[in-house]
Amino acid sequence: MHKLIPSYKIFIGLLLILMVLLPFVITSSFALEILVRILLFAFIGTSWNLLGGYAKQLSLGHVAFFGLGAYTSTLMEINYGISPWIGMLVGGLVGMSASLPIGWLCFRLKGPYFTISTIATANVLMLIFLKFRDFAWGAEGTTIPNLGHAPLMMQFETKTPYYFIVLGLLIVSLAITAWIERSRIGYYLIALGEDEDAAEASGVDVVKVKRNIYMLSAFLTALAGTFYTQYIYFIDPQTAFSFNVSIEAALVSIVGGIGTLWGPVIGTVLLETSTALLQSYLGNSIGGIQLTVYSLILMAVILIRPTGIVGYFKEIKAKV
Amino acid sequence: MLETVMQAVINGLLIGGIYALVSIGVTLIFGVVKIVNFAQGEFVMIGMYLSYYLSSQFNIDPVVSVLFSMPILFVVGVLIQHYLIRRVLGLNDLPQIFLTFALSLLIINLSLMFFTANYRTIHTWYSDEAFHFWGVYIPYAKLIAFVLAMILSGILWLFLKTTDLGKAMRAASQNRDVAQLMGINPNRVFAVALGIALALAGAAGSLLMSFYPAYPLVGQVFVLMAFVAVVLGTLGNVLGALVASLLMGIAESLGIQFIGADSGLIVVFILLLATLALKPSGLAGGWRK
Repeated sequence: MHKLIPSYKIFIGLLLILMVLLPFVITSSFALEILVRILLFAFIGTSWNLLGGYAKQLSLGHVAFFGLGAYTSTLMEINYGISPWIGMLVGGLVGMSASLPIGWLCFRLKGPYFTISTIATANVLMLIFLKFRDFAWGAEGTTIPNLGHAPLMMQFETKTPYYFIVLGLLIVSLAITAWIERSRIGYYLIALGEDEDAAEASGVDVVKVKRNIYMLSAFLTALAGTFYTQYIYFIDPQTAFSFNVSIEAALVSIVGGIGTLWGPVIGTVLLETSTALLQSYLGNSIGGIQLTVYSLILMAVILIRPTGIVGYFKEIKAKV
Repeated sequence: MLETVMQAVINGLLIGGIYALVSIGVTLIFGVVKIVNFAQGEFVMIGMYLSYYLSSQFNIDPVVSVLFSMPILFVVGVLIQHYLIRRVLGLNDLPQIFLTFALSLLIINLSLMFFTANYRTIHTWYSDEAFHFWGVYIPYAKLIAFVLAMILSGILWLFLKTTDLGKAMRAASQNRDVAQLMGINPNRVFAVALGIALALAGAAGSLLMSFYPAYPLVGQVFVLMAFVAVVLGTLGNVLGALVASLLMGIAESLGIQFIGADSGLIVVFILLLATLALKPSGLAGGWRK
């Protein structure tokens, strides 16, 4: 492995240069939109992967934090004129704090019932924002006032700055993941993901490790919520707490390779490009076709190789 | 006031019978095969569309169409066990959770493509008929559905208690390894469990069709109810799931009556979260100890 490290560093460097140059080469705004989507879901997937991939706590309610982040920054901007840059950080902290009671409840259950309880908590949050019209516009939602070119308010006239924001977020989340992978916490996470009881027996504070990684994962996911709302200039409970975000966060990681650094990125590239190609091939979108394709890919991965694409390549490498 | 409460309780109880059919299926699969079937609601939806087409094409009454939907879904259940679920048994949580989850996504989105998102309803001669009983309004369609749901649950209970296959199923759910040592073929037992669970979901769909609209996402409501009922009634416990489903139907109906029309689900989710916070082992779990 040691010999590979220099070439790995060169590869990362080249990839980074490519990603920075990409928006200047690509001029089609449709293509740039797809790239932003890929980076966004790669970021959300990487955040999910910390909890779902390494600790194997298979959440399907991560949109709870996405929505809280989105609502926090939007409420702060519209009610008090506070910049979404600050709102984003506050939203992250709100998401992080929300993960404490949610985790307290959901971690009581294991396996599939943990998954169900995360779905339920995300749904409760959506219903709360739907019901309480007085403080957050209810079901109608609201549009973000368009200020034209206002970098301090996270608003831009072209797509390129958004591309760099979400690229930055993705790089941060990948760096955190890479650091955790090599640290002691990473080993704790993998141990408890393999077998919780065994990890506990060998001295891992399972409750604390799960709580901390959930907080980190929630914080990062909430940042994505703010970014997305600023990007589409609109918020309502159905989009901010859309179940599809939770599904895609888990799916990209599982398809790409759960519990691996690059898994979510590879999974998002595969799933999002397949959607984009399908849509351009069919011309107009048919309701349900995107998730039909996703579910078929997911089923194939689970039945053929549950370790995902990265897992498959690792196996090939191990054989060679 | 008392009459309003009574009316809400009866409404909830009647729909609770349908929830019971779905929950019993979920708890049966969980008990025997140790898998949570995220797609259970989608088989209710398939049952509804089956009855819808039998009714609109061949004029078969939705209640009679139970005779078609149950055997068809039994076979579907056996096939799903044989070709899909069998391949992930013994693996870790990830494939077990996401296989049936993917199946649920697939069925929902295929029906969105083929049936569109439109609501489909059937009008039968008894759809609008009702009678009054002690000042409470009881619609025939819901009463028929409730009574048949209870009869089906009773038959299942007798099957589990008295027949060899039923006993084998209970044995497999209590201790799979020992059951296997006693000569029970787990694959056969699992296939029958899946078949029965899906047949019950199909029956729930057919019985619903005379008073409830069919649409691709309809199963989500029922499966969420079932998950809550299964936790409340203690995982894998058939009688617990039945009682919990009836209680949930009543709780939902009281919520709709006294909090607001769209608050039924909030009540259900709060019930789930309260159960998790206070008694994650379920109600029956406490009685046993």
